[in-house]
Amino acid sequence: MRTARKTYIILLVILGFQTAIVTAQSTSSPYSVFGLGFLEGNSAGPFRAMGGTGIGFLSEKSVNYMNPASYCGIDSLISVFEVGLFGKYSTFSTSRESQSLFNSNLKYILMGFRVTPWLATSFGFSPYSSIGYNINTLSPIEGTNQQFVKTFTGEGGVNQVYFGGSVTPVKNLSLGFNAAYLFGNVTHTESSDLYSYYLEDITYISNFDFNYGLNYRVIVDKMRFSLGLIYGSSKKLKTENVTTIQTASATETLKKRSYKYNLPQNMGVGIAFTKGFFSAGFDFERSDWEDVQFKNAFIHTRNSNRYSLGIEFPSQGPKKGTTGMIFYRIGGEFRESYITIDNTPINYRALTLGAGIPLNNWISVVNVSLEVGQNGTTKNGLFRENFINLNLDLSFKDFWFVKKRYN
Amino acid sequence: MTGISAGTGKRLFFLFTKIYKYIPVAIAAGVILVSSCTKLSEFDIGKDFIESQTRLQVVDTFRVDLSTIIQDSLRTSGTKVALVGNLKDDLFGNVKCETYFDLAFSVFGAIEDKAYFDSAAFILPFTGYSVGDTLADMTVGIHALTEKITTGNDGYLYSINSFDYQPVPMSIVTIHPEPHSKIDTALNFRVDALGEDLFNKIRDNDVNVSSSEWFMDYIKGFVVTPGNSANKAVIGLNAAENKINLKIYYHLSLEEPEKKEITISMGEINHQFNHIDYDMSTTYLDNIKNSGNKKMASETGYKGYMQGLTGLITKVQFPSLQDIFMESNWKILKAELILEPVAHSYDNYPLPEKLYIYQTDMVSRASSVLRDERGNSISQLTDDDNNPLTATFDYDKILGENTRYTFDITSYINKELAGKYFEYKRGLHLGLSPDDYRTTLNRILFEGKRPPVKLRLYYLSY
Repeated sequence: MRTARKTYIILLVILGFQTAIVTAQSTSSPYSVFGLGFLEGNSAGPFRAMGGTGIGFLSEKSVNYMNPASYCGIDSLISVFEVGLFGKYSTFSTSRESQSLFNSNLKYILMGFRVTPWLATSFGFSPYSSIGYNINTLSPIEGTNQQFVKTFTGEGGVNQVYFGGSVTPVKNLSLGFNAAYLFGNVTHTESSDLYSYYLEDITYISNFDFNYGLNYRVIVDKMRFSLGLIYGSSKKLKTENVTTIQTASATETLKKRSYKYNLPQNMGVGIAFTKGFFSAGFDFERSDWEDVQFKNAFIHTRNSNRYSLGIEFPSQGPKKGTTGMIFYRIGGEFRESYITIDNTPINYRALTLGAGIPLNNWISVVNVSLEVGQNGTTKNGLFRENFINLNLDLSFKDFWFVKKRYN
Repeated sequence: MTGISAGTGKRLFFLFTKIYKYIPVAIAAGVILVSSCTKLSEFDIGKDFIESQTRLQVVDTFRVDLSTIIQDSLRTSGTKVALVGNLKDDLFGNVKCETYFDLAFSVFGAIEDKAYFDSAAFILPFTGYSVGDTLADMTVGIHALTEKITTGNDGYLYSINSFDYQPVPMSIVTIHPEPHSKIDTALNFRVDALGEDLFNKIRDNDVNVSSSEWFMDYIKGFVVTPGNSANKAVIGLNAAENKINLKIYYHLSLEEPEKKEITISMGEINHQFNHIDYDMSTTYLDNIKNSGNKKMASETGYKGYMQGLTGLITKVQFPSLQDIFMESNWKILKAELILEPVAHSYDNYPLPEKLYIYQTDMVSRASSVLRDERGNSISQLTDDDNNPLTATFDYDKILGENTRYTFDITSYINKELAGKYFEYKRGLHLGLSPDDYRTTLNRILFEGKRPPVKLRLYYLSY
């Protein structure tokens, strides 16, 4: 108990620090101009390497905050502290041209700990959605035949700090919840260097968000079949808009504008299969975005589904079954976009592969994954984003707080 | 513990030997990836579906009222520039410039024995400035004053001041004013009678050359004037210290004759001034001083007049700019005032390259050189670095159609509009620098109708 308290205090300090410095801009895509931006998904290290498949899995190798019921899988002797980082290289192509961007940032900080034999908890910080774009256009100077360069940028996004718990009331049945506080801002700017003006439209967003999860396991012949269910209800986000227009001579703040941002009802089902060191899983998730409307003439929302599957298998050879065993993971994911532009969906598809490499020093495991995929299409005047995403998940199990017990 | 860490060390070592050789490859790949990225300033994908909240429009339909105002007079003493000549100008009227100065007294040394007077002359060097028809010859004369030059209470003399002088000139010269001529670098008035008289008085230690008071009573001063001759140009003479001199030449009658001279320089710098007479009766500006020192462009053939020394200032007012407050959510990003000179109005009078813009002071300054039609002082608008704001001058040498002056008056307009009320009556004044107003006859005739003077606003709405 004492170590648990200590770790939570440490984590709180880190989180407080992080939220102050990281306004987690973790995407860089012109598509993030719409709505809440790019939805990040809740998959941590090993699950990311399996195409983001995790609803059916327990938090045995990593904190699986996708399904709060999974926390009961956290080993009673181990506290888990994970930091996720990523670097993403994207190439954007229209039917005529192609341009590329690179960005990298911290992705999440997660913590898992079993408090009592019947209660496992998790605490963490991660982005819910993110916005990041920088687009230059030639805009007309009305009343002349001249044009000027107008730069549009977007940044920010919605972050979440969550606290979750999981209990196992009946053998093989776990229930869990995540109570999250969503906060952040959606910031769009437009400016011109030549005419020295800068318009900044910031919508501050906040609200509480509750998610629920279930995990049920059947063990037959050393084979474990799991079923996971997750649910989150729709909610209205509290918003406050501040639009500031700045010119060489004046700054004016407009406060009367208001934008509505909502989160849709979300549910998912996942199945997982584990035998020995081998695992496989499949996820299906649905978000009812149709109920959420954004004020933008170009886009419509729609209910979106996500499908993913992934497998994990151990390295063969003498290390198999030892603490030096490496896990390999592959997976695939398909996400229907929650928006359509001129009735054209911006779907996301990716193949993932990765490895969990045990270091067993102060970093216990490094989960590396490479995600190769694309987003969108070059049809209908849109563009396609091809990306390579390198995710790094550093897992600090048996960190100093466990060693303390030996003292 | 030790057993485990030995195993860990071995494993780590093995892992690193495996990874090491890939590190350079990974770094190279990373560098290639990052360096191949598009610069953010060039990134434009996504522009088709971005919704802009701002519109930039150019509006140049605000009414601009053009008028001409005139200064009562300009302070012309102490400018170090003496102007002489006449302008025959159909557009601006005829102008006559004459310049006054006196001589400095100094204790004259004894003149040697066997000294004989030879000649004497006033030497007034050219500055190089000239205006008007400089190809025609011009005739100017120098007259002795019959009264002393005295300044007003403020210590200055103005373009309307004058002093009595002898009707008959002491000396007359005819010159070719073209300033590039190498032969004439100065006006040279031969004044032997004056010179000999002075020479004799100095030699004889006459009381008239014994002190400043006596000397100034004896030699009161001089005026260089074109008289009634039909000159067509005005030239500038250098009236800086020790530039205008009276030279008395004499020689010593020795075995080998020796040439000697006495130099008497121009006197007090504030006693040198230019008197300006002008006759606008044949122009649209006739009687402007009796019309409240102002004429609207509608009374002057839709033209605005600007000229140094006669004190003409072009004034612009924006009576409909107040209408801008009927709309909300806008900002003015740039405001330009564009004026074009009337075609062919500057054939004989080169356009000044530097044009300034003035606003009426909130508190009138007594020391101001220039004033508006009500007598309030006006001062130059300044740029961000607090230097006087000048117009961008586009000179279309070939066709003359695109010759224009453009002022960036963004900060003035934004300041004036900040109060949600625009006071248009004070207006803006276009003219030369204060120094050029006092020392040149440079002029511009601004077109007021085709095309009109434009106030061009870059207007952002959001």
